[in-house]
Amino acid sequence: MTETDFLFYLGVLLFCSGLMIVFTKKNALLILMGIELMLNAANLNLVVFNRQQTGMDGQLFALFVILVAVCEAAVGIAIILRVYHYYKSAVPDQVSDLKEHE
Amino acid sequence: MHQPASITSSLAFVIPEIILVVSICITLVLGLFLKQNKSAVLVLVTGVAMLTAICFVVWNWPHQPEPIFAGTLRTDDFAAFFRVLFLSGGSLTLFISLQKESATEYVILIQAIVLGACLLAMSMHFATVLVSLELVSLSGYVLAGFAFNKSSSEGSMKYFLMGSVATACLVYGVSLIYGITGTLDFSSQQFVDTLIQSQSGLILIAAFLILAAVLFKITAVPFHLWAPDVYQSAPTPVVAFLSVVPKLAGLVLFIKIVLAFNLFGQATLDWRVVIAGISILSILIGNLSALAQTNPKRMLAYSSIAQAGFLLAGVATLDLAGIHATMFYAVVFLLMNLLAFTTLHFFEKWKALPTMAHFAGLGRVAFIPASALVIALVALTGLPPTAGFTAKLLVFSSLWSAWADSGLTVLLILFIVGLLNTVVALYFYLKIPYYLFLKETPPGTASIKISFTGNLLVIILVIAIIWLFLNPGLLMGWINRITFVL
Repeated sequence: MTETDFLFYLGVLLFCSGLMIVFTKKNALLILMGIELMLNAANLNLVVFNRQQTGMDGQLFALFVILVAVCEAAVGIAIILRVYHYYKSAVPDQVSDLKEHE
Repeated sequence: MHQPASITSSLAFVIPEIILVVSICITLVLGLFLKQNKSAVLVLVTGVAMLTAICFVVWNWPHQPEPIFAGTLRTDDFAAFFRVLFLSGGSLTLFISLQKESATEYVILIQAIVLGACLLAMSMHFATVLVSLELVSLSGYVLAGFAFNKSSSEGSMKYFLMGSVATACLVYGVSLIYGITGTLDFSSQQFVDTLIQSQSGLILIAAFLILAAVLFKITAVPFHLWAPDVYQSAPTPVVAFLSVVPKLAGLVLFIKIVLAFNLFGQATLDWRVVIAGISILSILIGNLSALAQTNPKRMLAYSSIAQAGFLLAGVATLDLAGIHATMFYAVVFLLMNLLAFTTLHFFEKWKALPTMAHFAGLGRVAFIPASALVIALVALTGLPPTAGFTAKLLVFSSLWSAWADSGLTVLLILFIVGLLNTVVALYFYLKIPYYLFLKETPPGTASIKISFTGNLLVIILVIAIIWLFLNPGLLMGWINRITFVL
């Protein structure tokens, strides 16, 4: 197994564990962490694959991803804080006033 | 290519977007200083900015396909068409919000979404796709919570959590594609060549991850779960906006990316089958779920999921006629959805309407908004004499000819499902008109006061919808001149 293969599989592992956290964890903040993991898996891929290329496209794109992730976390935590203010909970399962056939 | 000179020469092509950025800065500063008539002045400033931007796009018609900013964006007629659509959607939404006390942030966020959508329409590179898609999404998450109450915060959080997962999937899909092709520019020759040569199964995984994020924006099944909650809880003008501009922005991106992955018909997977499948599912699930709804906004949410199915039905043909039909549908969809939500907003301002039964007899006390709502719903069903009929007719006829050409059974199934669902849709769309006009007015109902500008906007939209039915040739002629090359 070459180094690139190894790093690619590491990325797959990171992405899958992130996705699993999103689906299994209850707390919204933990879901946010899972999302960050998925984004970092993509970053790892981009940087690793960039080594086979001549340009810097992949690394630059990874910078954009980091930037977007920061914005997303900022907006997300603000929204979760607001939900916490109303519901005294950040667990999406307990935050469920909106349902079918009210 | 990467010299500053190319950047400065590119600036001339994005003047509408620059106007929007400047207008965002101006509204930000004005919002700090204005005390009286704050919302009216801000809406006026942004309205003028958007109209100027529309004029610039129309003035430069026809747009030669021209890669700008080192090939990350490209101006062409297809993008320009949707830029006009997004800018008009944004200005119409601001016009509805004129009557409420809107904060500076509200106006800025609306402009940010329009800016993101315009850039998305021009994107030809995954970096610009990511940044502009996130501009649309992040502003959308915040806007969804703008009712500042309990349920609105909940809708906003659900939208945010699902949307972020979708973005993460998009980014991971893009990283895989980058590994396979070595380029992030999906319009480049290198992208097509390497994908044709490569037999890797990873391409499909990557393509599905990317398209999942885009379909999330279009609210196509199975990525529609957020829509009913958000539509029900967010303020109605925001819903009107979110159901139109981000959705159509997603549609533009979907068309571009699917055409890129289609590799001029040389792809191993027949994308027409995939799109037709998603379209069938969206139409069926959207319409059948809408049947059971009692909340009018929730019903319209499911209806807009079904409409997403119809928008995708034109794309499923993957030929120019189908995409032209979709573009016509997009214009009509913008008009009729904005009209439906605007009139709903007028009724809601007057009193809370948690169920459709609350509409009983309101047609007699508020004739203009009530009949406008009926016209919007008739158009959404797809019946004459509204442009909704013309749009559906165009989509279905392009589907029919695509089926006749290719003999692909799934297109015929989509055709039949679409036709049958128009009948199903009749049942739930006409529930509100039934309550409005055929039920007795409850005693003691005061008549609704709607401002002159409100009535004017409603009447303009109604005239546009009926005029496009009587005379679709002008718009269709304009659309038919738009050639689409990836």
